[in-house]
Amino acid sequence: MRLFASLCLMLSLVLPVGADQTLVMVRSEAPAQYVMDVLKETLPEYGYTVAHTQRCDGGMAEFHYKSDFYRVVFFGKLEEVRTILARHPEMSPYLPLKITVVAENGETILASMDPRSLGGFFPEDAELQLQFLRWYNDIEAILDEMRRLKKK
Amino acid sequence: MKHFNWLLLLFCMPLLAAPDGKALYENNCSSCHHSQGKGGIGLPLTPEILSQLSDAYIAKTIRHGRPGRIMPSFEQLSLAQVNAIVRYVRSWTGKPAPVFQAAKIKGDAAKGKPLYEKHCVRCHGKDGSGEGPGTGVTMSRERTFMVMPAALNNSGFQKSASDAMIRDIVASGRKSSDMPSFKSKLSDEDIAHVVTYLRTLKPPVIKQGMEEWRGKPAYIMESPYDFETTVENVKQALTGANFRIFPQRYLEQGLVDEFSVNTRQVSIRFCNFKELYHLLNIDPRLGTVLPCRINVMAQNGKVLVISANVAHLATLFNNQELSEVGVLMEEIILTVMEEATL
Ligand code: HEC
Ligand code: HEC
Repeated sequence: MRLFASLCLMLSLVLPVGADQTLVMVRSEAPAQYVMDVLKETLPEYGYTVAHTQRCDGGMAEFHYKSDFYRVVFFGKLEEVRTILARHPEMSPYLPLKITVVAENGETILASMDPRSLGGFFPEDAELQLQFLRWYNDIEAILDEMRRLKKK
Repeated sequence: MKHFNWLLLLFCMPLLAAPDGKALYENNCSSCHHSQGKGGIGLPLTPEILSQLSDAYIAKTIRHGRPGRIMPSFEQLSLAQVNAIVRYVRSWTGKPAPVFQAAKIKGDAAKGKPLYEKHCVRCHGKDGSGEGPGTGVTMSRERTFMVMPAALNNSGFQKSASDAMIRDIVASGRKSSDMPSFKSKLSDEDIAHVVTYLRTLKPPVIKQGMEEWRGKPAYIMESPYDFETTVENVKQALTGANFRIFPQRYLEQGLVDEFSVNTRQVSIRFCNFKELYHLLNIDPRLGTVLPCRINVMAQNGKVLVISANVAHLATLFNNQELSEVGVLMEEIILTVMEEATL
């Protein structure tokens, strides 16, 4: 029984993790603008500041390329960004963190890089690995909230 | 101790219970294939299409994914979980799954080649990679097809599809996605030749980024100039490379008030909208790594010029087309950085 139980415990800890996952991605049935508004309210609930949003569709439209709603939300925590950049300037292209919000036929796709996929670059830095894991957990939880938003 | 055991058992319940196919589908597949299988970045899984796909093919597709063609391989799912997903998807059709024989079809690849070139190339491409940019159903940007033809040279497809199933697809076509039925144009023998030829198609060789930078998260160069001059140099080099430059931002901008922001760390953001539009057709998830930017940071008496390792970033998408663009972009960005720090 003990053995079985610990086996189960091990499995349940191991199974849900996609080992070589590189992107975190969800679909929400709610429309993009609404998802975007909720996302901007949700990020602070997890302690993040929304640094800015980039309107890629606007830029493309200026050049006569038609595209639906396409935004990138940048977010982060100042202290984290400062500490990490002081040690690893090569992390600067990945900070602040970002989530892409794309409309798809009245629904919304959200995608973000899985920060853990940067782990292999910093095998020596255990603290950073932990940071990647924490970011991943937050992004995963936030995107899961977006996934659960209902059609409006 | 007894309680502890019960607690653990409770913890294990989800593992012992039959897996929930709907939940698994929604967690793992709906982002690309849509919650009811209408398609998206992935191909549609409508009842019409499912009526041509065996359960074994769907299960194997889940396991192998489509290497280099966006769909990941789901090796971490248990057999029971894969089967639950297949059952769930199948439940949309209200009909039993078709079953195909596993036996190989014996055609003549040499005779199949000209037939493939005559009837299939315009959609599936000469080497079987699929014509036109991107995958799945066309939504918000203009593309060559409403549904992008699948890559037939893909190892995931080749490992999952039996000869008999491919023969059936070629004979029936796919009405919803404009693939014609070839029943009236090709004899059974001809179709056998085409199927045999398809088996000889090989996926393209994946190009890699420059060896010097492989295994590094970013390209990083030290500038011999002061901070301001370096920023100007980067902008000039980018303009010279035909990029449009956006107002620059401090790396910390928006995270802190304007008085405390570190002004010796800037992001120079740039874009080429024509290229961007094209790239979003290939993979709409690209925004997760955009926008393109080169950072200039003054730190410990050094001025550093830094860009993400774009050749590596592009590989995150499991998208061959994008990986190739990443390798091209690497060359352009490194040239810009070298020019700015020369
Ligand atoms: C990240 C996007 C993505 C995810 C997630 C994904 N797929 Fe796919 N899938 C694709 C793409 C893209 C193709 C088509 C490849 C091509 O065009 O060559 C495809 C093809 C397929 C096919 C073949 C369809 C046909 O007509 O032969 C099946 C079946 C399938 N996927 C099932 C699934 C299932 C089930 C899941 C969840 C376990 C899943 N996919 C998850 C993107 C995805
Ligand atoms: C007018 C374009 C067109 C032509 C011509 C065409 N196809 Fe297709 N084919 C498609 C599209 C689009 C799909 C994906 C459809 C879908 O899943 O909805 C497809 C799917 C397939 C598939 C299933 C692959 C998968 O992963 O789902 C096979 C096999 C196939 N085609 C073989 C052929 C062969 C062999 C020929 C020539 C005899 C051919 N096709 C000609 C457009 C075309």
